[in-house]
Amino acid sequence: SYIIEERSFMPCEDLLYGRMSFKGFNPEIEKLMIQMNSKCKEKEIEVDDKMEADVSDEEMARRQLYLLYHLYRYETLVGTIGKKFMRKRDQRVLQDEDEDGSSNIRPIKKAKRKFLKPQD
Amino acid sequence: MAEEFGVAVEACVGQVVLPGDLLLLPAHPDEDGERLRLGTGTAPRGRLLCGPGLRRCGAGLLVTKCGLLRHRQAGSGAAAGGVYWVDSQQKRYVPVKGDHVIGIVTAKAGDVFKLDVGGSEQASLSYLAFEGATKRNRPNVQVGDLIYGQFLVANKDMEPEMVCIDSSGRSTGMGIIGQDGFLFKVSLGLIRKLLAPKCEIIQELSQLYPFELVLGMNGRIWVKAKTVQQTLIIVNILEACEYMTAEQRKQALAKLSGN
Repeated sequence: SYIIEERSFMPCEDLLYGRMSFKGFNPEIEKLMIQMNSKCKEKEIEVDDKMEADVSDEEMARRQLYLLYHLYRYETLVGTIGKKFMRKRDQRVLQDEDEDGSSNIRPIKKAKRKFLKPQD
Repeated sequence: MAEEFGVAVEACVGQVVLPGDLLLLPAHPDEDGERLRLGTGTAPRGRLLCGPGLRRCGAGLLVTKCGLLRHRQAGSGAAAGGVYWVDSQQKRYVPVKGDHVIGIVTAKAGDVFKLDVGGSEQASLSYLAFEGATKRNRPNVQVGDLIYGQFLVANKDMEPEMVCIDSSGRSTGMGIIGQDGFLFKVSLGLIRKLLAPKCEIIQELSQLYPFELVLGMNGRIWVKAKTVQQTLIIVNILEACEYMTAEQRKQALAKLSGN
């Protein structure tokens, strides 16, 4: 038979995880307690959240372009969604459009102040 | 040295053993010869896990610490033969690989933080060992901060090294411990008692107030509650509960929750 030497108490006594929170003082730690102490594989859910967060920048830019295209078609959406776009457009999409050099630059830039209907 | 004959290990479970005692494992069936014999009494010996306070010595186990001998019959996994260990008490911590501890940052030396973990040497922690840390995105760690991490390397030949992420790169609650709160030190035996699966002390305390607790295996406990007074009450209970019986503890808690 083999005898394995072990210097830590964790496998001997099956100790719990050291961070604890009670009565909702720290909700993230309480979630962590359930995960670590029940030893179930719920960690995959965390992984998915993180992966989505990493992609969100590119994903946002793509969605901006996609929705912009539809905006030209549906004027009824101009009021609310158009304004929602104007803020985010400043950051990323404007740069992308400039680099692309498409003919849609003019209307988009003026849309910072007021949305122009496209000349069909 | 005289009297080197040992005692059967099963006879000593739950009793006090002293350093130098030799514990004999029951004679196991020879590997090849009598494997066919159906083991009625003792289960076929898989691997035996020899825990803290014990050392392998020939066919038996040599005790190196004084305390109570404990045994657990593990049902599955690597230690199929069971686990033996010595339940000893001490205040001085010796770094062990895989232990989660609370460290205090004492110095920043370039890319590495030096942490005091209560051992004989300071542990080192690289700035890249935090979740989401890159060369440009450094963690905001100052001298005097508290860090909850685990040991990556801890043996008597090398400087202990800590990390705040696990093997898959996630922090799972490790890292810098937040603001406020109170850090104090207790003996290692109490920490193990508090971390046991069904600890009555923790269960009773959790009924009192909402609070947050971090227990480090190096004897350090960090507590944070809503007000300073509640924090100090919890600290006092945790320090005193080592020497209180269950009755005294219940009385003390009843007085507090009555107030």
